[in-house]
Amino acid sequence: MRTRTLVQCGAVTLGIIGVLTVAPAGVAAQTRAEIADAARKASPRTAEEAATFFEAEVARKTAAAIARVYDPTRPPTPVKKTPWGHPDLRGYWLSLSYTPLERPAEFADKALLTPQEAIEFFKKAVVEDAAVDPATVHYDWKEFGMDTWQSPVRPNRRSGLIIDPANGKLPPLSPEGQRRRAAAQAAGKGVDPQTAVSTLNNFYTRCITGNQGPPRLPFNHDSESQIFQTPNYVLLITQSNNDVRIIPLDGRPHVPQEVRPWLGDSRGRWEGNTLVVETTNFHPDRLWRGATGNMNLIERFTRVDDNTISYQITVSDPAQWAQPWTAEIPWPRIEPPLFEFACHEQNYGVINVVTGAQIRATEGKPAARDGDN
Amino acid sequence: MRGMRIRFTGALMSVAVASATLWLTATPIAGQAPAGFPAYKAAVRTADGKPDLSGIWEAMTSANWDILAHSAQPGPHPQIMGAWGAGRGGQSIVEGNEIPYQPWAKAKQQENLKNRMVVKVAADPSRFDTGDRELQCYRPGVPRANYMPYPFQIFQTPEEIVMVYEYKGALRSIYMNATDEAPGDTWMGWSNGKWDGDTLVIDVNGFNGNTWLDRAGNFHSDALHVVERWTPISPYHIRYEATLDDPKVYTRPWKMSFPLYKHVEANAQLVEFNCVPFVEEMMYDPIGLYRSQPRQAK
Repeated sequence: MRTRTLVQCGAVTLGIIGVLTVAPAGVAAQTRAEIADAARKASPRTAEEAATFFEAEVARKTAAAIARVYDPTRPPTPVKKTPWGHPDLRGYWLSLSYTPLERPAEFADKALLTPQEAIEFFKKAVVEDAAVDPATVHYDWKEFGMDTWQSPVRPNRRSGLIIDPANGKLPPLSPEGQRRRAAAQAAGKGVDPQTAVSTLNNFYTRCITGNQGPPRLPFNHDSESQIFQTPNYVLLITQSNNDVRIIPLDGRPHVPQEVRPWLGDSRGRWEGNTLVVETTNFHPDRLWRGATGNMNLIERFTRVDDNTISYQITVSDPAQWAQPWTAEIPWPRIEPPLFEFACHEQNYGVINVVTGAQIRATEGKPAARDGDN
Repeated sequence: MRGMRIRFTGALMSVAVASATLWLTATPIAGQAPAGFPAYKAAVRTADGKPDLSGIWEAMTSANWDILAHSAQPGPHPQIMGAWGAGRGGQSIVEGNEIPYQPWAKAKQQENLKNRMVVKVAADPSRFDTGDRELQCYRPGVPRANYMPYPFQIFQTPEEIVMVYEYKGALRSIYMNATDEAPGDTWMGWSNGKWDGDTLVIDVNGFNGNTWLDRAGNFHSDALHVVERWTPISPYHIRYEATLDDPKVYTRPWKMSFPLYKHVEANAQLVEFNCVPFVEEMMYDPIGLYRSQPRQAK
């Protein structure tokens, strides 16, 4: 979890950490272990001392969270309305969760945990997340209060976020998806795409988009967002890269297919108390989890209580997956405001990521793992 | 506010309010418009009785090339860009066609003009010692965002007004009746708004000093304080005024104004202008990072 986070945040404010990408086990593993050992020896604090430092905060945060287990079987509370009569989704919301996208093997037959099991799973994840390795402490988000466990993240009775297919797993690739993946692997063989900005396929590191999709999966930093409503529009504004999605509610058709925004083209409508947003016309280079620009996304936003939005996504793209898949992520409410996120303006990270990859290539070292945005 | 009689004073007059905050006393009479514009009483109103500024707006000026009066000009690469790269001539949007620069600042503007296409990409703050930031797809700042040749959309509620600019998707949140201080320096500034009769008044500060006002090198510092006044003058036009104060750069506050035009096409919508991919080759190729060019082992 820690290493994945470090890989992904290369582009942002803590751009200098972009070079700390993690090599796959193998050739570089020994070197990396040696470097980490040296850093631990040089650290003024041991791991145990560091853990003690955060102990009280961990206990406080855990206690607050376990009183708020998300239970998808609970009926929604009566819905607040805006002055113009729409369900009121306005406010600031956080897309973070310890629940994995795919149901873990240990819960293969258990889509829904008991509240007690959910709490145990959550506690374990928090303790693991809050652990401090002196080798990485200077690049650790918790010093800035930005670790997941320091947010209003909540336990979830779901054992995985995917609710369809029923096994909680991503559907298999379609035949075309398999063919496309094989072709991409063949084309990229022997070349590390991170050695040039033009081939770097992480658009977050390049500051072309933030790390919040669409759709938004809860595995990243800067997961704060604002929902802003008027009678005719809903705006979805994310902290990450300040991506803004403008969603008209007037039933107008999508833009012609020649128009391909990086964030897609969104249209919204109210179905009872749920905001349903359909997004199409994605940019063909985007390849979100391997999907093409023709990916279709349905998002369903329901305020299930004052402090929670149920965010449900259904993703389909026959060129990638054999069938559509659906996931549900609970969003806890957070305090305002959002801040300016001038990513490209000071993208030191991309310089370091590409420079590092070029040096690794020159030295014959294996490529770093890319983030999975 | 509806029906309230407010008197327009003609010449705008600035007053320092207690905390040296600059607010303007421009107070149009309901039924009268600012000087030079037809009388108009906003007919389209929100549920709380304020003029409804919602919609997609765009300036119709060449001020992004130069906010002062200027001739048409060839582009920086006429050998390949021809008429495509050339700039329109245009009238000044600055009152009196003069920016009251301090002497050093006038020289700095001239230097900026000369170096406007310098691109500096470094992994440290020296990267901001560079030419026009628009060239590199950086956020444009305020007021420039409002007269760039791209539309922008206003979303209005009583508590908050959001402005989304097609250029780069740059974003402003305007907190109504708020007095919060900017939590940090930013490209787009920190905006607090209030209604003065039928005029939306926005106090903007907290700038980082990295933005320019145009491609001609006109500039400001991190001490910039902008007061904007947005007054509807027809269902389809807003008169935009901004007063810029920056004691580090100017000798006195000065004012710009121009009309904004509403997009009325049935299918009008902002079409994303995400320019980051358009500038990567320019920014990263000179430092060997754009195409894969592995270094030679030493």
